[in-house]
Amino acid sequence: MTGRKKRFNTVKWLRILVNVGGWVPLLILTIKYFTNNLGFDPIQSALLRTGRYAVLFLILSLTCTPIRKILKIYVVSVLRKPLGMFAALYAGLHFAIYAIWDFQLNFKLIWQAIIEFPFIILGAITLLILAILAATSFQKIQRKMGKKWDLLQRTVYIAAVLDIIHYLLAIKGDLLSLQGNYTWPLIAASALLILFILRIPWVIRTLKNLIFLRKETRQR
Amino acid sequence: MKKQEKYNSVPVKPDEITPKHIYQNRRTFLKQMGVVGLGALLASCAPGVTSTPSTSETLSDITPSGIGSELENQLTSKEAIKGYNNYYEFTTNKERVAELAQDFVTEPWSVNVDGLVENPGTYSTEDLLSNFEQEQRIYRMRCVEAWSMVIPWVGFPLHKLLEEVKPTSEAKYVMFESALVPEQMDGANSGMFPFPYTEGLRLDEAMHDLTILATGIYDEPLAPQNGAPIRLVVPWKYGFKSIKSIIKISLVVDEPPTLWNIVAPQEYGFYANVNPNVDHPRWSQATERRIGESGRIDTLFMNGYAEEVMPLYEGLDLTENF
Repeated sequence: MTGRKKRFNTVKWLRILVNVGGWVPLLILTIKYFTNNLGFDPIQSALLRTGRYAVLFLILSLTCTPIRKILKIYVVSVLRKPLGMFAALYAGLHFAIYAIWDFQLNFKLIWQAIIEFPFIILGAITLLILAILAATSFQKIQRKMGKKWDLLQRTVYIAAVLDIIHYLLAIKGDLLSLQGNYTWPLIAASALLILFILRIPWVIRTLKNLIFLRKETRQR
Repeated sequence: MKKQEKYNSVPVKPDEITPKHIYQNRRTFLKQMGVVGLGALLASCAPGVTSTPSTSETLSDITPSGIGSELENQLTSKEAIKGYNNYYEFTTNKERVAELAQDFVTEPWSVNVDGLVENPGTYSTEDLLSNFEQEQRIYRMRCVEAWSMVIPWVGFPLHKLLEEVKPTSEAKYVMFESALVPEQMDGANSGMFPFPYTEGLRLDEAMHDLTILATGIYDEPLAPQNGAPIRLVVPWKYGFKSIKSIIKISLVVDEPPTLWNIVAPQEYGFYANVNPNVDHPRWSQATERRIGESGRIDTLFMNGYAEEVMPLYEGLDLTENF
């Protein structure tokens, strides 16, 4: 009884933390906008910020499953959905800033950019996937779709890869020779790679054994 | 695009575009130059105005060249020009360059002019300031990243210096090199770029009257983040061609290696002429964001200097030679 109550409390607090925390970057951005604190090129700054938040939340949402499976901390699974929703929110804002604020809804130019430049296409596909996932994330739809829903949710991995490539391509420099300031996108890429590795069944088993066998030996 | 049309057709008061304090600053500046009112028309009938005594922070004896005076009501604020910089030797963060570059030592300074010239020489900043008449040139500055500014440079045409050193008939290109002082430049040791920064121009481009060596902005000497004490300004080319803090100018036979061309030759060509019809592989160059304004404006062919510079490129495929 107490165990269940404790778990309920942890879930509640974790949920509150994510649901409140997810809005903080947007709040900061809004305050900075209205107090003229976005620098000399506010559009560029807002684009960069929202883009980074989208990557951050997407990566965070992908950490839930490995934590649950390897560390057996089951409560984190309730965070996957809100974190994913925030990723979609910031990706949507990122595009809205691009289309409305930067390109003033000049659809001809926006469309041209989307179809002509791989860099923009990748971002657009990422947003499309995240938007579909967000729109179908409600339980009613989930039940209706059944197994298809699980398959659909897997496309988040495609979104994550495209998102990171989009981020890498946004840097001025040369990706192949890594000449340029690739620090942040490379950190994001490494995080994603690690998260992918942590999904390999063999890796999960080995790590689990390593962690929990040790615990047991210590207890003995 | 709509915005641009509006811009051309509706007469705008200068104080609607430029923040008032900057606008007033500009007034002081114009007064110091001995120009009453706006524009060269009035200047011709203005009585001789005694210029205010100059402090160490203010330039004196600037000749208004009249070049770019039509851009006067579009000037980017001094704060933005000094606060938003690409200078990767310090950092890739544009808004942190000013702070990181503030202690960059630019005195004493000398520029070596050598290579295929009859009179090679070493010029100190003082030599360059006193040997050549300093004039004001208001130019558009278009960054390859698709943002732009309008900057009131102070400087002198490069051809005046080149005429003094006399390039030999073999000289075909001019190569420029930036200072590289890792102790004073945080970003220089990152290994991200093959510094020193080098740039180059064809000799005829270098001799063009629009090509200047700048020593100041508004009524001040160049700030370190803007390329103190002396930099190149080639207004019809993307900003990265306008190399900063020059220590060496060499006349050479072959096309010199240039930093961005070394880093990513498929993206940054040797010519780097502003051209809305030739896109960067990753983004369009058709429009640009003017710093200090919202929305986008159309990018002008050759950054608006086509009439002056197109004779340089007769018969040259500008798409191939981007």
